[in-house]
Amino acid sequence: MSQQPPLRHRIITVSLLSIAAIYFLVPVYWLTISATKNTGDLFGTFGFWFANPHPIDYLHDVLTYDNGIYVTWLLNSLLYAGVGALAATLLSAAAGYALAKFVFRGRETIFNVILAGVLIPGTALALPLYLLFSEIGLANTYWAVLLPSVVSPFGVYLCRIYASAAVPDSLLEAARIDGAGELRIFGTLVMRLMSPALVTVFLFQFVHIWNNFFLPLVMLNDSDLYPIQLGLVGWQGYADRAPELYQYTVGGAFLSVIPLMVLMGVLQRYWRTGLSEGSVKA
Amino acid sequence: MSPSGLDRRTVLGTAAAAAAGFALAGCGSDDDGSGGGGKERKKGQQVTLDFWSWVPGIEKPVALWNRKNPEVQINLEKVSAVNGAQYAKMHAAVKAGDAPDLGQIEYSVVPSFLLDNALADLSKLGADRYKSRFIGWQWQQSVFGTSVYAIPQDSGPMGLFVRQDLFDKWGIEAPQTWADYARAAQAIRKKGAWIETFSATNGNRFAGLVWQAGGRWFDTKGDTWTVAIDDAPSLKVADYWSRLVDEGLIKTDPDRQNAWYKNIQTGDIVSWLGASWGDALLVGNAPKTAGKWRVLPMPQWKKGENAHANWGGSTTVVFNDSAYPKDALAFAVWLNSAPEAIKLLIEGGYGFPSATSGYRAADLEGRKAFFGGQHYSRVFTEAGKGVDTSWKWGPTVDTLYQRLGDAFTEAIADGTSFRSVLKTVQGETINDLKDKGLKVAAGPGSASG
Amino acid sequence: MKRPTRTEARNARAAAGFLVPFLALFLLCFIAPIGYAIYQSLLKVERTGPLGLGGRTNEVWAGFSNYTHALEDERFINGFGRVLLFGAVQIPVMIIFATALALLLEAASARWVGFFRTAFFLPYGIPGVIASILWGFLYVPGISPLVEMADSAGWQVEFLARDTVLWSIANIVTWQFTGYNMLVLIAQLKAISEELYEAARIDGANAWQIARHIKLPLIRPALVLTTVFSIIGTLQLFAEPMVLRPLGTSIDSGYTPNLHAYNQAFTSNNQHIAAAEAVLLALVACVLSFGFLRLVGRGPRDGRDGK
Repeated sequence: MSQQPPLRHRIITVSLLSIAAIYFLVPVYWLTISATKNTGDLFGTFGFWFANPHPIDYLHDVLTYDNGIYVTWLLNSLLYAGVGALAATLLSAAAGYALAKFVFRGRETIFNVILAGVLIPGTALALPLYLLFSEIGLANTYWAVLLPSVVSPFGVYLCRIYASAAVPDSLLEAARIDGAGELRIFGTLVMRLMSPALVTVFLFQFVHIWNNFFLPLVMLNDSDLYPIQLGLVGWQGYADRAPELYQYTVGGAFLSVIPLMVLMGVLQRYWRTGLSEGSVKA
Repeated sequence: MSPSGLDRRTVLGTAAAAAAGFALAGCGSDDDGSGGGGKERKKGQQVTLDFWSWVPGIEKPVALWNRKNPEVQINLEKVSAVNGAQYAKMHAAVKAGDAPDLGQIEYSVVPSFLLDNALADLSKLGADRYKSRFIGWQWQQSVFGTSVYAIPQDSGPMGLFVRQDLFDKWGIEAPQTWADYARAAQAIRKKGAWIETFSATNGNRFAGLVWQAGGRWFDTKGDTWTVAIDDAPSLKVADYWSRLVDEGLIKTDPDRQNAWYKNIQTGDIVSWLGASWGDALLVGNAPKTAGKWRVLPMPQWKKGENAHANWGGSTTVVFNDSAYPKDALAFAVWLNSAPEAIKLLIEGGYGFPSATSGYRAADLEGRKAFFGGQHYSRVFTEAGKGVDTSWKWGPTVDTLYQRLGDAFTEAIADGTSFRSVLKTVQGETINDLKDKGLKVAAGPGSASG
Repeated sequence: MKRPTRTEARNARAAAGFLVPFLALFLLCFIAPIGYAIYQSLLKVERTGPLGLGGRTNEVWAGFSNYTHALEDERFINGFGRVLLFGAVQIPVMIIFATALALLLEAASARWVGFFRTAFFLPYGIPGVIASILWGFLYVPGISPLVEMADSAGWQVEFLARDTVLWSIANIVTWQFTGYNMLVLIAQLKAISEELYEAARIDGANAWQIARHIKLPLIRPALVLTTVFSIIGTLQLFAEPMVLRPLGTSIDSGYTPNLHAYNQAFTSNNQHIAAAEAVLLALVACVLSFGFLRLVGRGPRDGRDGK
C-alpha cells in the first residue's frame, strides 16, 4: 500500500489539474452556449452566456436544413471512420503479424519502406492521389476516402512490435502440428493474442479518419459524400451569402462533438491498455 | 456520369486529348470514339448530365427541369465553394478527363478554364441566338474572339449600403462623389464610428472600385495578354484608399467576417460598399438594425457621372467533355432565362438576374422592410446599366486576388503605400502568366510598362 | 546460399498472403502518388495558339525548374522558417505540458482522475477545422468573450495580430493534442512496475525525486514517439491557418508550406509547381523526423522485437 501524500500536496495537485481542465473545457463550454443562439446573437452578445436560447429549434434547423444533409454527413463520417478503421485494423494486423513471425527475403526492406510511410505527411500525398484516382475513376466516390484510410503504416508498426512480443512461436508451431491452416491460426489464435494492440490501432485510426480534413477536401465534390467537418466548413464558407449558416455551422459543430465526446469518455480506458503496449516498445 | 471510356486514358493522353477536343470545338472526335463531345441525342433517348454547382437553393430549379424534361435528366452535385476549391476540382477533373457536363463558374475565372481548353464553344452550338435574352455586358464577359463560352446567370451591381438613421442624426449627406465620401468619413470618425473598412484580402471589391474608375487590368493584343494592374485609374483608387487608411479614417479589418458583423450590428461601422446580393447578408447578420438601412448609388469620381461596377456573379458553362452539349446548353439557357427558373433562383437568394426579362423588380426586393420600404433594387438596376462593359478578366484572377491580399496586408502592417502594392502585384502577375506558358506584356496603361 | 527448406517456402507463401492486401493498398495510396508527384514535378505546361486559348496544351519536360521556382519563392521558404520556429517552441511546450499533466494525474487521488483525464483528452476528438472555427470565435476582437474580459481588466490582447497569430495557432494545436500525448505518457507510466516506486520510496525518495529520476527516464521512448509525431504534424500545419486566415490580416497565402502548396494547386492551378512543393515538404519531413531519431540515438527500428 502506498501512503496518501500530504494534504497540501493534494490541494496543489488538484488546483493545477483544475486550471488545466478549465483551459481544455472553456472552448467546449463556449460551443455549448453558442449552439443555443441565432446568427445575430452569435455576433452580438457575450460569448460565455446565454441570449434568448432556443436550443431545440436551432438544432432542429441544423438537422433539417437542405433536406437534412447534416444527417447524411454524420452518417458518412461514421461510415468512413468506422469501416475504414475496421479494415485498417485487419490489414495492419495481418501485415504486422507476417512481418513479425515469418522469415523471408526482403522482410526488413519492406518494413523500412512502410516505416518511411509513417513519416510522410499525408497532405503531401493527397493531391497526387487525387489525380491518380481521377485516372481510374475513383475520385469523388466513397472509395476515394475509404481506400487511403485503410492504409495505416503506424498500425503495421504497432502490430509488428506487439506480435513479436505477444505471440509465442511455440504456440504457432503447436497449432501447425495440430494441422491448423495459416489463415485459421491467424483468425483465431493470433488475433485474440493481439487484441489489445488491435483496439489501439482501431481507435487511433478511427479518430485519425474522423479528423482528417485534407483528404476528403481534395477527393470529394459531391456534398452527399462529405464527412461532417467538410460539410461544416462548406456552410461556413457560404455564410456570407446566407447568414443563417453561421448559426448552423456552430450548431452543427456542437452536435458533431457529442458522439466523439461519448466515444472518448467510454473508450479511453481500452485505448490506454493498448497504447501502453505500443509505446513501451516503441 | 461523364461519357464512358474516358477513364483508361494515360495522363499525358488526357491533356492532348482535351486539346484535340478543343480544336474541334466539341464536334465529337475524342480519342476513343466511345465518348467524346458532341453527340446528337436520338429522339426519345434518355440521358443524364452532371452539373456541379454550389449555389444554395439551386436544387429547386433543377428538380423542376427534371420533372419537365424526362429525357434530359440533370444530376446536380453540390460542390464545396470554400477557398475556390470548386474550381480546383473542376480543373483537376478536366485534366483527368472526368469533367461534368455543366458547371457553375464566376465570370472572373472563365478565362482560366479556357486556358485548360475546358469549355465548349457555345456559339458553335447556336447559343448566339439567345444573346438578346441577357444583359449585354454580362454576355460579353464570356465572349473571347468571336465565340461565347458561358451563359450568364447573375451579377452583383455595386452600391453603397448606409445606416440612414445615423447619417441623418449626424447631419451627413449622402455622398455623391468620392470627395464627399472622404468628408463623410471624417465626420463619422468624429462621432466615434467608422464609415468603412479597407479589407486587404477582398480583391473582388478592390477590382470593382478600379473597374468603376475606368481601370483595365487585362487585355489582349494580338496573341499576347497585356497586364496593367498599375494603370492610372488603379493608382488613383489605391492612392485614395491609402490616404483614408493613413489618416485613420477607415478600419483595416476584413469585411464580412466575425468582427465586421459585430461592428455592423453595433453601428461602429455605418456603411458598406457592397453589391446587390448584400441585402441578405445585412438582414441575416444585423437583424436588430431593421428599417435603418438604405441603399445609395456608388459615389462618383466626377459629380454627375454614372460609372458603376460589378462584384460577383456567375455563369453556367458546358464542358468540352460533355457527350450531349446541345442538351446541356438548352438546360443552361433555361436555367438562367426561364421565368419559372429565375423565380426559384431568386427565392434561393442568388444575385441580380442576368436575364433581361421574366421577373419583376419587386421580386428582387423581398427584404424591402429592412431598408425602410425603399425600392432598393432600382438602385442596383440603374447601377447595372452604368457598368463599364469593356472590362475583361485575365486567366489568373484568383491568384491575382491572393497576391493583392498578401501585398495589401503587408503594406498595412508596414505602413507603406498602396501604390507600391500595385507595382509589386503587376510584376508578380506578369510572372504568373509567364509561368502558365503564356505570352504576356505590360499593358499600355501600366505605369511600369 | 542454401536452398530454402519446405518450412521456409511455406512461410514465404503464408507471409505473402498476409502481406499482399496491405502492400497492394500501400502501393496504391503511398508509393504510387509519391512517384506520380515526382513525375509531375518534373513537367511543365507549354501552350500554343493565340493567348494560350484554343491551342494545344502540352506537358513537357521541365527538369528541376519547378523546384527552383519553389525554392526561389520567398513566401514558400518563409513558410518553412515559420513552421520550424513554431515546432521549436510549440512541441517542447506541449510535451512538457503533457508530461506535467501525466505526472500530476498519477499523483492525484483516484476519485478525480477519470474526470480530469476525460476533460484533457476531449479536444483530441474535435477535428482541427472545427477546433479552429471555435477558437476563431474566441480570438476575434469584438466577438471574443476572452478579449472582452481581458479588456475590462485593463489588459489589451490581440490574438490575431501579426506577431501573435502564430502563437494563437500554437495554442489551438496544443489544446487539441496535449491530452492525447498525455494519454500515451500515462500508458507508459502504468507499465512501470509498482515495485520500482515502492523501492524508491523505501530508499527515502520523495515524490519529486521519483518523478525526476525514475519516471522521466522510463517514459523516454514514449516521449520520442510523441515528439516525432508532433514534428510530422507541425510540418503539415494547414487547417488552422486556413480557417483563421480570413478572420484577420496577418496570415498570408503561404503562411505554412502546406498552405502554399495547396494554394499553388487549388488557387493558381499550377499542378506541377504544387507537386514540386509537395515533394520538398515530404523530404523535409523525413529529414527532420529521421534526424530527430538519430539525435536521440535510436532508429525507429531499434525496439522492434522488444528484445
